Formats: sequence, structure tokens, C-alpha cells
Amino acid sequence: MKDIYDITIVGGGAAGLSAALEAYDPNIKLLIIERDQIFGGILNQCIHNGFGLHVFKEELTGPEYAQKLIDSVIKKNIEYILDTTVVDIKKEDIFTLTVSNIEHGEFEIKSKTIILTSGCYERSRGQISIPGDRPKGIMTAGSAQRYLNMDGYLVGKEIFILGSGDIGLIMARRMTLEGAHVLGVAELMPFSNGLTRNVVQCLNDFDIPLYLSHTVTDVVGKESLEAITIQEVDKDYNFIEGTQKTFKVDTLLLSVGLIPDVKLFESIAIDIDPLTKSAYVNQALETSIEGLFVCGNALHVHDLVDDVTIESQKAGRSAKKYILDAKKDKACKKVVDFDQLIRYIVPQSIDFNNLSQDVDLSFRTSKKIEKATFVVEQNGKIIKEVKAKYIVPAEMQKIKLSPSDFISKDDLYIHVKEMS
Amino acid sequence: MYDYTIIGAGIIGSLIARELSKYDLNVLVLEKENDVANVQTRANSAIVHSGHDPQYGTLKAKLSVLGNKLYDDLEKDLHISLLKTGAYVCAHDKDEEDILNDLYENAKLNKVNDMEFLNLSQAQLSEPNLSDDITKVLSLPTTKVCFPWEVAFFALENAINNGVELIRNSEIISIDHKNDIYILKDQNDQIYESKAIINAAGVYSDDIKDMIEDDAPFKITPRKGEYFVLDKSVRGFINHVLYPLPSKKGKGVLVTPQVHGNILLGPTSELVDDKGSISTSKTGLTYIKQHVTALAKNIPFELIIRSFAGVRATSTYKDFYIKESTSHKGFYHVAGIDSPGITAAPAIAKYLVDEIIKIKLPIKDSFTPTIAKKIVFNHLTKEEKIKKQKENPLYGRIICKCEHITEQEIIDAIHGPLGSDTIKGIKKRARAGSGICQGGYCESLIVKIIARETNKDLTQVDYDQKNTPILYKETKVSS
Ligand SMILES: Cc1cc2nc3c(=O)[nH]c(=O)nc-3n(C[C@H](O)[C@H](O)[C@H](O)COP(=O)(O)OP(=O)(O)OC[C@H]3O[C@@H](n4cnc5c(N)ncnc54)[C@H](O)[C@@H]3O)c2cc1C
Ligand SMILES: Cc1cc2nc3c(=O)[nH]c(=O)nc-3n(C[C@H](O)[C@H](O)[C@H](O)COP(=O)(O)OP(=O)(O)OC[C@H]3O[C@@H](n4cnc5c(N)ncnc54)[C@H](O)[C@@H]3O)c2cc1C
Repeated sequence: MKDIYDITIVGGGAAGLSAALEAYDPNIKLLIIERDQIFGGILNQCIHNGFGLHVFKEELTGPEYAQKLIDSVIKKNIEYILDTTVVDIKKEDIFTLTVSNIEHGEFEIKSKTIILTSGCYERSRGQISIPGDRPKGIMTAGSAQRYLNMDGYLVGKEIFILGSGDIGLIMARRMTLEGAHVLGVAELMPFSNGLTRNVVQCLNDFDIPLYLSHTVTDVVGKESLEAITIQEVDKDYNFIEGTQKTFKVDTLLLSVGLIPDVKLFESIAIDIDPLTKSAYVNQALETSIEGLFVCGNALHVHDLVDDVTIESQKAGRSAKKYILDAKKDKACKKVVDFDQLIRYIVPQSIDFNNLSQDVDLSFRTSKKIEKATFVVEQNGKIIKEVKAKYIVPAEMQKIKLSPSDFISKDDLYIHVKEMS
Repeated sequence: MYDYTIIGAGIIGSLIARELSKYDLNVLVLEKENDVANVQTRANSAIVHSGHDPQYGTLKAKLSVLGNKLYDDLEKDLHISLLKTGAYVCAHDKDEEDILNDLYENAKLNKVNDMEFLNLSQAQLSEPNLSDDITKVLSLPTTKVCFPWEVAFFALENAINNGVELIRNSEIISIDHKNDIYILKDQNDQIYESKAIINAAGVYSDDIKDMIEDDAPFKITPRKGEYFVLDKSVRGFINHVLYPLPSKKGKGVLVTPQVHGNILLGPTSELVDDKGSISTSKTGLTYIKQHVTALAKNIPFELIIRSFAGVRATSTYKDFYIKESTSHKGFYHVAGIDSPGITAAPAIAKYLVDEIIKIKLPIKDSFTPTIAKKIVFNHLTKEEKIKKQKENPLYGRIICKCEHITEQEIIDAIHGPLGSDTIKGIKKRARAGSGICQGGYCESLIVKIIARETNKDLTQVDYDQKNTPILYKETKVSS
């Protein structure tokens, strides 16, 4: 291994591979580190199709999408190590990564920049405090998906799913196709948290009931799961008495949210956005630590892998620019502010001194909206308006701003104008 | 034929087994569960109390003050984890300060050392997140926190090394006493014969007593306690054990730092009908959130990673019941061991063996009081890590990323005298899956390691109890 890398990418999922391909340059020393024995990350367990329409202009399965990226990485001879976990990142003038694998044990890698693409983890039962017993038979939908699609094992036969995130919806269909009986999906919110196409194709097509404004209020079974109870909630999430329904099931799958996995920030003092639970970044996807970039699900959770790729390409370009170009001062980071109808926006700030490429704002609304205009203002003047229909929190919204759209170096304010 | 049979492998049974293993005796431990330390010892606050709270003159008071001291010996001999936190008992107004003064007087009689009173600003110097409406604090520097399952594991492992036998999945359902010999039968109709018996069955200790005695000097009145666990990233948020003032229901809802950096919030105290029910409830969990704010401000509830409950073996006797049976010689009850049972455990074991059984035998030459220190890879120095990895490259593969647990540590947890082949068993021993993702990524890897190491099919790997496989069936069987 070389002494000092220019760019080290942590994670070899869609984000890591896409960032690597874009950062690649014969003059740059580039390394990808992946803890799994294969590249691809989450894509490997997503054997359904629907990936790649934007990036590859064709409909692919997860593993096919991953393979296309892997082939390109191999063809470009990009250096990588698999079956190797990054356990710590420190920074002095440059970064030191502590990594561990069977071949070398624990060792250090030095790098001038890092692109962190460690993906996300699923919220567990404990994090949402579902009361009741703690038997076997309760797991996250993603774990069940991994067991089924990668190992070839079904985790149960009578299934209930809590949370209507995409993984939950997809698993409702997948387990049905494998011969299990899915009794229903409960969702706390009055709308589904998954893509509309997944509600249609995974629940409606298989007559699986979706209980909106419902949550699991009891779990019964001392050793193995025997039954769960769901209950309806009012608009303030108070339980409505008399609405309890009990289902005899051996498995409860949870699809109750994904959280960026940024444990590696623990030994670096980095500014964290409480809304995304990941780093604050500017439009180059650079964090408050110079030379540290974050993208993909490690930055905020994406619904489409194509969006992950496009965002990660940007991180790859930014890191390359950081290595190859003379640096300009980054004094004036400007903050992106927004109203209550928006849940979060990435990037959280804009560096007007280094504004060479488009600024891609990604955000989610906090509720379902029939029809609206997204308005971007600077100094009280509208600099961009985007119309949208059928807006749901589960689908990420995007606004592209070109450098010429800005009228000053001041804060941006973005709001949602609801139309009737 | 055994000389002594201990029913129950919680912290009490395990430490008694270790105490008896000093002598040339045949000792058997029977445990109904699939693992050691699965009941009360698995679900509690883990506090080694200073001994301030039990009423002066009780066995509880005497044994907890002594137990607290004996923990330092366990730390040396068994290398158990011990966090020397100290504790603050917090009063909020004049009435509570009066109770605090009474508590201080009681603690003084119990011979608790180094206590002092602090005002809020003094206490906040060391605990800035202490709630602002606290008016006076009793500081108890001798308070510590242990890891109770580990204490039971290491004590029993030490006992096994010294010749004790352990049988799991063996629930005693009847006991006969014929010709000075006890005949125990378990749920599989297995028969064990023993000259003496020790009832260390926790919440079930009255059921065991009922198998042998008619007149009942105690009955278990089980009390449930529910908890929240905060992720270890909160380490340092609170460093002392924080108690409110004790009430009739017990020590109240506490804030307790744990040895691995997590913080526990809880417990509640609810009388329950079902001894075996360890379910949590909406009411209980809400109660905790409402009450802990009296102790600490800015509690990061968003970092809750788990909730759980345990059931205390509280009895109508109002004190530990450590006596020989009134009708059957050689049958010893170690019953009604509720809080502070963890604290008192090492002292209970000594008290039983030295003062109740009064064993007169010499300590056997082969007795070894210590066990080898367990390797927690991430705690090693750089040099030690390199050395270990040379010997065994599997220390280089991280399986649980949240807790930084290597493949070799999981293999170590599977094998060994007290090994386990369940997901929960590995979690209890190696902490794999205890972090914020709760095994979301590593559980599938652990199932495979267990299957490989124990020569099982993946569908035979149990979650916790027997016959609780987490994989139901293979979907595509290749020919
Ligand atoms: C169930 C599910 C269904 C989906 N369905 C669709 C769909 O139909 N269509 C679509 O377009 N998109 C879909 N997506 C979204 C898309 O697949 C993901 O958003 C995308 O693949 C995420 O890529 P990533 O690289 O950010 O994360 P990941 O794929 O999670 O990659 C992160 C990688 O980092 C590695 N890593 C983590 N920590 C370390 C470390 N410390 N050291 C070394 N390596 C590390 C991990 O092993 C992993 O390989 C779906 C996602 C899921 C979960
Ligand atoms: C919520 C809560 C909080 C607590 N907090 C503290 C604290 O902070 N500090 C403190 O000092 N103490 C505390 N305690 C008390 C402490 O946990 C107990 O006193 C201690 O664990 C008792 O240990 P044990 O070995 O007697 O019981 P257990 O751990 O319950 O062990 C009894 C064993 O007997 C087995 N058994 C039962 N019946 C049979 C049978 N028929 N055949 C075979 N085996 C059988 C059981 O399976 C079990 O493993 C707390 C308790 C609870 C519940």
C-alpha cells in the first residue's frame, strides 16, 4: 500500500463506487475500503428491479446496478481492499484511518481527503420503544431481506410489518412470493412512508391491508412471538381506545426508519445536523472538517440509488478538485434556511467563494401536499420557483440552482407555497 | 450422588457454587433456563450500593455493606468490570431533606464510609446535568456499578474450573426426601440425588420451598421494574448513580451509568401476578420519562436504544430469607433475594457457607480463586493487539462494528467452559449486537459463525431459549 493516499473512500456501496469512478484520475492516489467481502452494499440484497432508470437509462435489479459500477471500478484499476473495516478516523494535517482485517490486523492508512459513504442503519425496536415481551421473531425488515435474498432463508411464516418504509413494503411482497402469509402493514402516519409505486405493487397487488394511523402497542410471546396488537392513533398520536386489533403472528418486521451511519465521526469534532443526524455539508458535500466529504445514505437517506450515484459523483468531483486545484479561502459559507413544511435540506450551507458547479438542493416535505410551488429567495427576492404535484414526505424533492441564479452572497430561504 | 445441589444459576447460585468449590465436595448447579444469569440477574440496575438504604439491623444492611467491599476482591480474582461511580441521593425540598437526614443516620449505623452532604452547586461541579431544582445531595462515594451477568458467568466459570458441574435447561419440578437423601426431578424426568440442597431460585424460591415445606415463612410478591437504555455515546452525561429519595416502593427511578458507557433510566416498581412476565408497558415507560427529569436535565431521550424489564423476588418476609429449612435438614433457602441482591451476592454466598451451613472442611489444595482475564480486544494496547493478531488473525475481522467486536471474540464466547450457542448468549458474553443498531448488520454474520463453530444448520441456531431458531426455513435448496 502506498504511503499517503490522496482520496480514501470508506464504503463500497453505490455511493462509494460512484464517488470513486468520478474522482478517478491517473494523477490521484485513490483507495476504496469495504468491510464486506463483496462490493455493492445494500444493493446486493435488493434483488427486485427498478434501479438505474436515470443513471443507466434502463431498469436494473440492485445487484445488476452494483455490477455495472463494480465493472467500471475494476476496468479503471482503482485500488481497493475488501473484508476490511475502518474503525476510526483522526485528523491532524492529514487524515489517519485505523482499519482492521484478517490479513494485516489493525493498521493505519494516511490520506489527504476522505469520502465517507458508510450507508445507514435501520432503526430497531428499542429505538421506538415498542412495549411488550421480547421474544424471538422481531427484526428489522432489512435484516429479513438480507437473510432471504442473500442467504436464502425465510424468517417466519405468519408475518406482520410495522412501518410502511420501502423496505417493509418490498418485504411484504417478497415474503408473500416465498409462501409466507403477510397479515398486514401498520403505519403511524396518516400516509405511507414508502414510494407510491411500492404501495401499489407490493401491497395492493397482493391484497395486503395497510393500516394507516396505526401502531403496534403490544407484543406477546415469552420465547417466540405469538401475537401483536395494533391500535389506531388520532392526529396528535394519542391512542384511540377500542380500536385494538390482535394478530397471531410469528414474525414482526420493522421498517421504521433509516439513520445515517456516521459512527466514524465519534473521534472527530464535526458539526452535526440534528435533522439528518449526519454532517452539515456545503454544496461540494464537504463537512466542517476540511477534506472530509460525505455522500449517499451516510449523508441523508435516499429513496433511489440513482440519486445516490448523482450525489456521490459530486462528492468525487469535489474531492478531486480539492486535490488537484489551488485552494481558495472558504470564508463565506451561507446557510440554507427553510419553513416548517420542509423537514430538512441538504446541503445545509453554500460556499460562494467556490461556486463553480450547480448547487443541488435535496429535501423532503414534512407532510403530504397535493400541489405546491417551491420558492427560493435571496435578499427577499425570488431567484427560483419549481412547481410540483402529489408531494409526499417519502419522495425526495430536488431543486437545481446554477451559479448565475444567485444575486448575492447572502443566505437562501426556501419555502413551500401550497396551491389549491 | 452430589454433596450439594444448587437450584438456580443467577448471581446468587453462581457465587455460592464458587464458594463451595473451595472444598472437596461434589457440587451440582441446575438451571431451568438455556443460559446462566437469564432472570433477575439479567435485568436490574447493576448497582453495587453502598448499603445506605436497608434498615439498620437487617441482614440486607449487613450483607450489602460487606458485599460492596467484597466486590473489590472479585475485581482482582475474576477480573470483573467495576465502575467506581459514587452516588448522589437527591432531595428537592425541606421535607425531602429531612428524609435525606434520616437516610444518612441509617447509613451511618450501617457503617457506610466517606459520606458527605453537598449543596446543588457543589454537586453540579462534578455533575453539570444534575436537575436545577435539587436542594441537597447525600454523596455516597463507595457506590459502584458492576456488570451482573459477567459476575455470574465468571464466578460460575471459576467454580466449574474448580470441579463444580452445571446443567442447563433443567427445571426442577419436584423434590423428595428419603433416607437423608434428596431426589430432584426436572421437567425431562431426569433424576438427581443429593445430600443437601440450596434453593437459589430467585423469584421462584417460594415454589421450590413449597415442594418441601408446608408452613410458609415467606411468599414471593413479585415487583416488576422497567428500564430504558441509552446508547453508549452518552458516556459522561452523568457519572454518578443518581437516586431520588427512597419510598415504600423502593429506591425509585434512577439514572445509572453502566460499565460499557450506556446509561440506564429506571426502574419502575409495580406489583405483578405473573413472576415470569418481563414485558414492558406504555404506562411504565412513560412513568420513567416523567420521573427521571427530577434528577437530571437535558436527558437525550432520542438516544434510547432499548427498553427491558426485570422482576424482583421481593418477599413477605421483608428481609433476605437465608435459613435452613424448618422441617428438612440440609435444605437451605437463599430466598427473597431482591434488591440489593447484586450488591450483597458475594457476602450472601460467604454468609450461607460459613455461618448457616458452617462447613468445617479444609480448603482443597487444588482450589484456584482466579480465572484468566477475558480478552476484550478493543481494550488492548497497540502492542498487545499486534501480538494477539499474530497468534490469531481472526482478531482482525470486525463483526460488530458498533461495539468493535472481532470474530475471534465471538468464537471465544461460543466455546469455553460456559460457552453459548445462541444469539442472546453471544450478545451477553461478547456484546456483539448491543450497540445502536442492535445487531441489524452483525446478527446474520453471528448466526453463520455459531452454525460453523457448532456444526449446525443455520435453521438450528437459537435466539435465546431452546427451539427458538431465528431462521424458519431454507427457501431454495440446491441439489
Ligand atoms: C430495501 C431497500 C430497497 C431499495 N429499493 C430501491 C429501488 O427499488 N430503487 C432504487 O433506485 N433504490 C432503492 N433503494 C435505495 C438504494 O439502493 C440505496 O439508497 C443505495 O444503494 C445506498 O447506497 P450507499 O452506498 O449510500 O449505502 P450502502 O449500500 O449501505 O453502502 C455502504 C457501504 O459501506 C460499507 N461500510 C460501512 N461502514 C464501513 C466501515 N466502517 N468500513 C468499511 N466499509 C464500511 C458497507 O459495508 C456498505 O457496503 C433501496 C434501498 C433499500 C435499503
Ligand atoms: C428491576 C430490578 C432492579 C434491581 N436493581 C438492583 C441493583 O441495582 N443492585 C442490587 O444490588 N440488586 C438489584 N436488584 C436485585 C438483584 O437483581 C437480585 O437480587 C439478584 O439478581 C438475585 O439473584 P438470584 O441469583 O437470586 O436470582 P436470579 O438471577 O433470578 O436467579 C435465579 C435462578 O434460578 C433459576 N430457577 C428458578 N426456578 C428454577 C427451577 N425450578 N429449577 C431450576 N432453576 C430454577 C432461574 O432460572 C434463575 O436463573 C434488582 C432487581 C430487579 C428486578
